[in-house]
Amino acid sequence: MRIAVVVQRYGAEINGGAELHARYVAEHLARHAEVDVLTTCARDYVTWENELRAGVESINGVPVRRFPVAHPRTPELFARHSATVFDQPHSLQDELAWLDSEGPTSPALLRYIETNAGTYDWFLFFSYRYHHAYHGSRAVAKKAVLVPTAERDATVGLAMFPPILRGVRALMFNSFEERAMLQHVAGARLPGVIVGIGSELPERPQPERFRQRFGVQDPFAIYVGRIDENKGCKELFAFFQQHIRNARGRMQLLLIGNTILPVPDHPMIRHLGFVSDEDKFDAMAAADVLIMPSYYESLSMVALEAWGLGTPVLANGRCDVLKGQCLRSNGGLFYESYSEFGEALGALASSPSIRRAMGRNGMAYFRRHYTWPVIERKYLQMFEQLAREPEGQQASMAPLPGYFARRKKVLPPGMKVLAGVPEGAVLQ
Amino acid sequence: MAEFNVRADAIDVEQIMRQIRARIREKRGVDYTEEQIQELAKIRLEKFLDPKGVRSDLLEQFRQTDQQDVPPTYEFDDKTLIRSGNPLIAFVRRLLQPILKLFFSPNPLVHALHVQTQINRYLLERAQRDVLVYEVMHNLVVEMTRTGIEVKNMQMRVESVSSRLDFNERRARALEAVVQYRPDAVSERPVMRDRDRDRDRDRDRDRDQGRRQPEPGRQPEPAPAQSAQSAPAAVDPITGGDSLRSRRRRRRRGRRSGPGFPNDERRATNGEPEQRAAGDELTAPNDEHRTAPSNEHRAAPDDEHRAATEDERGGGEHDAAGPQDTE
Repeated sequence: MRIAVVVQRYGAEINGGAELHARYVAEHLARHAEVDVLTTCARDYVTWENELRAGVESINGVPVRRFPVAHPRTPELFARHSATVFDQPHSLQDELAWLDSEGPTSPALLRYIETNAGTYDWFLFFSYRYHHAYHGSRAVAKKAVLVPTAERDATVGLAMFPPILRGVRALMFNSFEERAMLQHVAGARLPGVIVGIGSELPERPQPERFRQRFGVQDPFAIYVGRIDENKGCKELFAFFQQHIRNARGRMQLLLIGNTILPVPDHPMIRHLGFVSDEDKFDAMAAADVLIMPSYYESLSMVALEAWGLGTPVLANGRCDVLKGQCLRSNGGLFYESYSEFGEALGALASSPSIRRAMGRNGMAYFRRHYTWPVIERKYLQMFEQLAREPEGQQASMAPLPGYFARRKKVLPPGMKVLAGVPEGAVLQ
Repeated sequence: MAEFNVRADAIDVEQIMRQIRARIREKRGVDYTEEQIQELAKIRLEKFLDPKGVRSDLLEQFRQTDQQDVPPTYEFDDKTLIRSGNPLIAFVRRLLQPILKLFFSPNPLVHALHVQTQINRYLLERAQRDVLVYEVMHNLVVEMTRTGIEVKNMQMRVESVSSRLDFNERRARALEAVVQYRPDAVSERPVMRDRDRDRDRDRDRDRDQGRRQPEPGRQPEPAPAQSAQSAPAAVDPITGGDSLRSRRRRRRRGRRSGPGFPNDERRATNGEPEQRAAGDELTAPNDEHRTAPSNEHRAAPDDEHRAATEDERGGGEHDAAGPQDTE
């Protein structure tokens, strides 16, 4: 079996969520099949500048074929198109223009996919919202499997995507919530499976080593990731400081990751900066609770890793995915206000038995769904199932409307469509 | 923080979250978001400015303040009447002004119109201030709503604290029933400073020791001089810490709510045994059943008299620490 993993950026040093996801999947599938990665020469997802050399290279044993981006993103143009498609009635042509301005526009990559369609058994496209996934899926619809990595934003409200979602052979969802959202906008039951992503956890993390190395004696909550307002960190700081004032507990907040937002100067909040994976996993194993304050996650790897290490999670309940994972795993609590944050953190801090039980539940949930053998098996089974599917039962990609139909401004704003998408965690 | 009622081996996150929300409601009353407060405030404002309830057109007037077409004001001074765009006409008017003054006096007219311009300007500024007044009033209503919610929350918290206090009192009484005084702990009790009361107690102690009969299997009572000074001797070995005197004192307390008090009236009528009299103290039934020597019943009239004396002195509630008091 030969598989092409098509992704907007790729590299050992590229740590974006979907890109990392693609790399892990490619490297693990490479143990079972012949995998090529098809990607662009871009390193920066804002500009899509061609920073890497076009051609073939090998990364961790996986051949990577890079293609140049035709034009970098113009922020003003992209903002203008975004305002049009998200906030105003618009046409399909407007949406296509928006997609082109978003990028990464790589005609060479699309040409390669079309000309080599017969070379590969399956094309695994990552991130539905980008240029390569939209046009690539259209080019090889019969062999296209999409990993949408969709978040709850206005992009899901654009009318150009439902035909793609319905037209690919299968979708590999990250969560129940993502599937429910995409099925709602597609207006159909989508073929696919909920997979997510695995994680390589150490066999025996050493919490005491972390405590000694960083001089941590007291119980602590931990946040791992970029310290950014977009990740909910500002709210986390406000809530945690309020909690310290009210509860007067001994629990510290430790932060691991690069800062974009200033960290409050408070004796109970410590920023450890960027640490090695070994220290990170030791810290997560030593923590009493991992806090995940982000509002938008299609799948939180950090939360899954915490569960894999037996640490309960306190998540932002306004993120449907995180809330759903907490409920399905019984491995964490969630909050939607300060009151809930304080009470939930207090409950976890004061009750070791609840912490232990949630940690156990989380670990069982991780092992059941998110270890690499499970993930690999789901991908391989999906490919086998698709290969057995009779041609008559296969989904077909709807063609693009004609010249004039594409230019009719009859499509509702993306934000309006998004507002109609049901919210909340999905339990099953 | 109270423990959550959750079995650790069967964690249900939904159940815990329900408990967390219930605790928040218990602590804070009903939860309101900022939007809800604003909404409530808006409702109150409408109510406050209800045309039927307050004034027929007040609300409309407030709302229409900035919508009205306010005519522009004007300036009026002593030259306004004779001013002209044409300098020649203006010159002729100025020239003829003394003649005009022969027919009527324009000065009061000029003065009145000048004052009118000032009034107009003041009214315009006032109209602009009304918008601010409206805003201030709105903010006051918002704050009042918030305060009202806070008051409600505080009331709920007071109720919560009150119920906890009741519970703690009941628990304290229950604990008193099972507590066992250690002899060495008894010696550490605080010394009573009321000399008169101590004298009465000394008398009690002497009488108690004179009356006490040695029971089979019990050690004989120590000598009076020794018992007056050493703490362990004053402890009743049967009750494990309650001396006869303290038991008697407890009974006295029971009688204090005795005849004349509603509870005891009923008891007296029913002819219930005396040991039930201290029924509101959880310790009493146990003690009475354990000891209940007949000579104590005999001593009751004297004790009653002494209890009345102590009550008059106001020392009745403090005598729990009494047995080892020395001068």
